[in-house]
Amino acid sequence: MAILNLSPLTIKTLKRFRSVKRGYWSAIIIISLILLSLVAEVFVNSRALIVSYEGEWHFPTYGAIIPGEEFGLGYQYETNYRDLKQKFKEEGSDDWVLLPPVPYNAFETDLEAGNYPPAAPSFTKQHYLGTDTVGRDVVARLVYGFRIAIFFSLFLLICNYVVGTAIGCLMGYWGGIFDLLFQRLIEIWSNIPFLYVIMIIASIIVPNFWSLVIVMLMFSWMGMTWYMRTATYKEKEREYVMASRALGAGTARIIFHHIIPNTVSIIITFIPFSVAGGITALTSLDFLGFGLPPPTPSWGELLRQGIDNLQSPWIVSSIVTSMILVLTMVTFIGEAIREAYDPKKHTIYE
Amino acid sequence: MSQDVLLKVDDLKMHYPIRGGVLFRQIANNYAVDGVSFEINRGETLGIVGESGCGKSTVAKAILRLYEPTAGAIEFDGKDIINMSKPDLREIRQDMQIIFQDPMESLNSRHTVGTILEEPFVIHGKGTRAERRKWVTDLLDKVGLQSDSVNRFPHEFSGGQRQRIGIARAIALKPKLLICDEPVSALDVSIQSQILNLLLDLQREMDLTLLFIAHDLAVVKHVSDRIAVMYLGKIVEMNDAESLYKNPVHPYTRALLSSIPVPDPERKKVHDVLTGEVPSPINPPDGCHFHARCPYAEQICTKQRPELTTTNSNPNWLVSCHLKENFIN
Repeated sequence: MAILNLSPLTIKTLKRFRSVKRGYWSAIIIISLILLSLVAEVFVNSRALIVSYEGEWHFPTYGAIIPGEEFGLGYQYETNYRDLKQKFKEEGSDDWVLLPPVPYNAFETDLEAGNYPPAAPSFTKQHYLGTDTVGRDVVARLVYGFRIAIFFSLFLLICNYVVGTAIGCLMGYWGGIFDLLFQRLIEIWSNIPFLYVIMIIASIIVPNFWSLVIVMLMFSWMGMTWYMRTATYKEKEREYVMASRALGAGTARIIFHHIIPNTVSIIITFIPFSVAGGITALTSLDFLGFGLPPPTPSWGELLRQGIDNLQSPWIVSSIVTSMILVLTMVTFIGEAIREAYDPKKHTIYE
Repeated sequence: MSQDVLLKVDDLKMHYPIRGGVLFRQIANNYAVDGVSFEINRGETLGIVGESGCGKSTVAKAILRLYEPTAGAIEFDGKDIINMSKPDLREIRQDMQIIFQDPMESLNSRHTVGTILEEPFVIHGKGTRAERRKWVTDLLDKVGLQSDSVNRFPHEFSGGQRQRIGIARAIALKPKLLICDEPVSALDVSIQSQILNLLLDLQREMDLTLLFIAHDLAVVKHVSDRIAVMYLGKIVEMNDAESLYKNPVHPYTRALLSSIPVPDPERKKVHDVLTGEVPSPINPPDGCHFHARCPYAEQICTKQRPELTTTNSNPNWLVSCHLKENFIN
């Protein structure tokens, strides 16, 4: 407590947040999913976790590829650990391989002899949700797609909020011509059809993660400015800001020390909804084929496949279920945060 | 004489344009403060009284240049405040501070008392961390708060204690002029006197000059050397505190004074009761601003605006009324 001198107001808000059970649990689940997705290689990967070969232990998960020769296989490209495991088993040697729970990565195609993909879910082959139309594991696609989508929307959110908050605060704080000019600019800018621009850009350059963040940022920073502008207008006339000005504080100090800490509830309340928005935006772009280029694992592309191959229902059902679960949980978090900051007595969600 | 003047306000005007119509042209003015002049000598306390909306607080905020006045001159310590450059203004702000009416509003609820009181020193880059800590403790001690208040938040204090924090922040940089904008209006009567006495003690100790704004005449009388009465953006009467109470001249002052409750059941009530509302500062009446509510108004009052002039050849006694000679006892 002594280190983290949280304001009692913050503690109260946190308590309220925890009292909204479904939001609280959703937050725990989503945050653990995000953290786990950072080390997704440990759970979903074609590389083994541990290989014990001739008394020596290897940890191939992270780091450079280990060629097959290393383990007595006659090739120089990366070891196929599933085959290696099979081989050790057949030889009955002391060597062993520990594979991740899902021993496939998001890019490799696992083709069965005599069968066209997609393949149905199978526990024996460890394709728990089957494979997609080119034989890639659906779980791997989902997990890595989630990682990309969530980090895409988090980065986008940070960029959006930095730009939006800065411009919004200045509009509110300076007012006058600056405010008027930016208001009109934002109104005009918001009316540019975003999808057309993306299509045009995607046809000129092949978008990658960062260029897509930048393009999306160009068309979504405006949302936050309105809220911050209004909040700043309200806060700057309050007496604690006056007192600070009377002491000689400059614009930067007033905005960062006084106005932003007092409007933080607005920013925080919008975060979950922006995250959900970011995921949806990336998914829809990928769905239309204007997002990240293949073979990047992506939810939108998986959804596209699923809809095109309704005769293989495992694809569409897994992606739709994942999307519903993630977006619902994010919305629950948003609802709980909004509730926690609501000055009125809050409703109880059961 | 002029050497002793710390603050000189000359014909201060604060007009807010009101815009309307399709092109947002200026269609009217809100004459919040309309030509206020006064001087405060070093070590003196000038009280300003008046109803809410008469422009008292606006005067205070214009002196600190929290608002940019429309016209007029403000001279503080021999320096022109109105045309001062930003860095100079920053420097001079150490010498003039303000205490606000509502301490809950004037203290940032997200900062601890320590952070709030440290801010003046941080802004002006004074002292090391350890020194600032010590100064904060000294300040708390000076205003009668315990030093363990440092880690607490404003809402954990009572109204009186919060106002003490506001005072501590205002005196942190050892200002010469302290503007008190209704510092006790939001407090309980029992707390009011404590805060007033604290202010008076500090004034003596730190050689402060006070500009004391209130709507409560009893409070103002207690602390002020001189009092200015404001009505609708103008000063209507200014005099030494004692004389003003003994000899109110302007009908508005008389009405104000007679409205003070006197704890004496024997005393006969002679009320100059005011009728009607304060006219809007957007369309102030012609002539004397007060004529519509004045029981003594004559023809001239509706036509000609009275000037604030000396009375009885006493340079300290200023009244703005056409009929003032009739009221002098």
